[in-house]
Amino acid sequence: MNAGAAAPALSAADVSVRLTGALIVDRATLELKAGELTALIGPNGAGKTTLMRALAGLLPAEGRIALNGRTLAALSAGERARNIAYLPQGNVFHWPMSVAAVVALGRHPHADAFSPLSDADRTAVGRALAATAVEPWAARAVTTLSGGERARVALARALATQAPILLADEPTMSLDPRHQLVVMDLLARAAHDGGAVLAIVHDLALAARFADRVVMMERGRLVADGAPREVLTPQRIAAVFGVDAVITDSAVGPIPILRRPL
Amino acid sequence: MDMARRSGWRLETALIVLILVLAVLSLMVGPAGLSPKAALAGLIDGAGPAGIIVREIRLPRTLLALLIGATLGLSGAALQGLLRNPLAEPALFGAPQAAAAAASFMIAFSFASATSLMVPLAGIAGALVSIGGLVAIAGRRATLTVTLLAGLAFASFAGAMTALILNLAPNPYAALEIAFWLLGSLEDRSTDHLLIAAPFCLVSWILLAANARAFRALTLGEDAAASLGVDLGRVRLMVVVGVALGVGAAVAVAGSIGFVGLVAPHLVRRAVGSDPARVLLPGALAGAALLMVADIAVRALPAADELRVGVVTALIGVPFFLAMIFSERRLLEGAPS
Repeated sequence: MNAGAAAPALSAADVSVRLTGALIVDRATLELKAGELTALIGPNGAGKTTLMRALAGLLPAEGRIALNGRTLAALSAGERARNIAYLPQGNVFHWPMSVAAVVALGRHPHADAFSPLSDADRTAVGRALAATAVEPWAARAVTTLSGGERARVALARALATQAPILLADEPTMSLDPRHQLVVMDLLARAAHDGGAVLAIVHDLALAARFADRVVMMERGRLVADGAPREVLTPQRIAAVFGVDAVITDSAVGPIPILRRPL
Repeated sequence: MDMARRSGWRLETALIVLILVLAVLSLMVGPAGLSPKAALAGLIDGAGPAGIIVREIRLPRTLLALLIGATLGLSGAALQGLLRNPLAEPALFGAPQAAAAAASFMIAFSFASATSLMVPLAGIAGALVSIGGLVAIAGRRATLTVTLLAGLAFASFAGAMTALILNLAPNPYAALEIAFWLLGSLEDRSTDHLLIAAPFCLVSWILLAANARAFRALTLGEDAAASLGVDLGRVRLMVVVGVALGVGAAVAVAGSIGFVGLVAPHLVRRAVGSDPARVLLPGALAGAALLMVADIAVRALPAADELRVGVVTALIGVPFFLAMIFSERRLLEGAPS
C-alpha cells in the first residue's frame, strides 16, 4: 500500500471526450494517487461525469489514460474492473435483492461463472458491510431502504471489489446532512487505507473539509488542481460557479461560505 | 445467501416433481382416456392402441410442451434480466408475432411445407428483427415506457404483416391453415416437430444461461455493470439471438404462444430473492409446467373442438399482465424511468 505513495495509480494525459460530436472533456490532465481523496468540482454540465466515465474505461477517449503506467484500453475488462471501482450517480437498484447479495456484486470481477463466493470474497463482502455499517440490514431487500441507507449499500458494493482506485459520481447526492458526512468520511477512510479515490462533489464545504486535493472543472477543461485551500478561493469560486463566497476558518479548517449568486 | 440457495434447490426439485406428474397426466388425458397404469405401460412397451396413442401422439406433444414452455419461461426471465424489468416478455415485444409473420410468409407462398426447416429459420429471423430492433431502440437506459411502446409498435407491425400475408395468400386453404396455426397449438405434433425445434431451443438455453451473472450485475444499471467487467454489447447480442432462436423455433412448430415468459418467472421470483440470475432455472421449469397445465386443460375441457393452447395462455396471461401493471402502477407512475 505504501509503495505507490508517489507514483500515480491512475493518470490521464490530454484526455478529450466527444459525445455525439460535441467536445465534452477538453484535454484533461490528471493524476490520482494512492492515499488521496480527490474531489472533482464544477458547475452542472462542466463534463465531470463524462470525465469520470472515461477514467473508468466506460467511454472511448482521446489521449492517454494509464493504470499504474499501463494503457487502460489495453487491459481486459476483468483486469480493469478489479482495479477500478466505479460508483455511478443515483444508487440504482433495479431488483429487490438482499443487501448482502447486492454488496457481493462487488466481487463480480474476481469470480467466474462456475464458482460461488470464495473465502476471500466472503471476507471482502463482510468488511465492506462492516465498514459502511450496513450489516444489520444484510438480509433486507435493498429497495426497502431509505436514500441514505441505499447510498451506504452502494458504497459497500464498490468497496467490496477492493480495487485500488475508486471513482464515485456524486456519492452525497440527495442525502441528508448526516449521511453526507458519513459517506464523505467513508471515502476519506478508503483513501487513507491506501486507495486512490476520486469523488464528484457539489458541496464545496464538503470538498474543503474532506478532500486532500480538489480538481476544478469548467466547460470541459480542468482549471485548477491542488490542495483545497489553494483551489477554493473566492476569486475562483466567483469565476467558475458565479457565486460570491468567503472563506471562513473553522474548527475543521477553512470552509467556503456561499453568500449569493453573482 | 446460503439459505436462499438451499430453498432455491428445494424450489427446483419441487418444480421437477410437478413436471413429472404433469407429464404422466398429459399422457393420460385426451379423447381416449387412459389410466396412469395404461399410459405408462403404453409408453414402455408401445404395444396396442394405447402404445400408439401414447408414443406417437401424446409423448411428442408432452415433450414439446415441456421444451417450448421452458424456452418461453427462460426467454422471459432473460429479457427481464437484460432490461431490468419484470414486465418484459417476448410477446409484448412482438417476437412471436414477428416470427409468425415470417413463418406465415413461407407457408402462404408455398416456399416451404409446415415441417421443413425453412419455417423455423424464417421464424427465428422474424424474432431476431423484432427483439434486436427493440433492444436497439430501448437503448442504454432501457426505460419501461420506451421499451413497451417500441414493443407495441413491433407487435402491431408484425400483426399487420401477417394480416397482409393472409390477405394476399394465393390459396384460401393455406390462409385458413395459417390462421389456425397462429392461435398456437400443440395438437397433432409429431416427433419431427420436436426434432426441428429442440436444437434451436438448446442453443437458446445455452446462450441465455451463459449470461446469468451479467443479469445479476445489471441490477446496478448498465454503467455499474460495465464497470464490473460485463461486456454489455456481447450480453445484448447473446440475449437477442438466444430469445430469437428459442421463440422463433417455438412459434414455427406450435404457433403463437404468449405470456408464459411473463407469468413463469414472476411466480418463482420471490422464492429466489429476486436475483435475476437465480430466477432463470426455476423460471424455465415453471414455464414448462405452465404450458403443460394449459395443454392438459385444453384437452380436458369439454368443448366441441379442442381449444387452442395459445388462446388459453393469452386468456390467462393478459389479465395477469394487467394485474402486474396494477400492482406496480405506483412505481410506474412515480419512477423517473
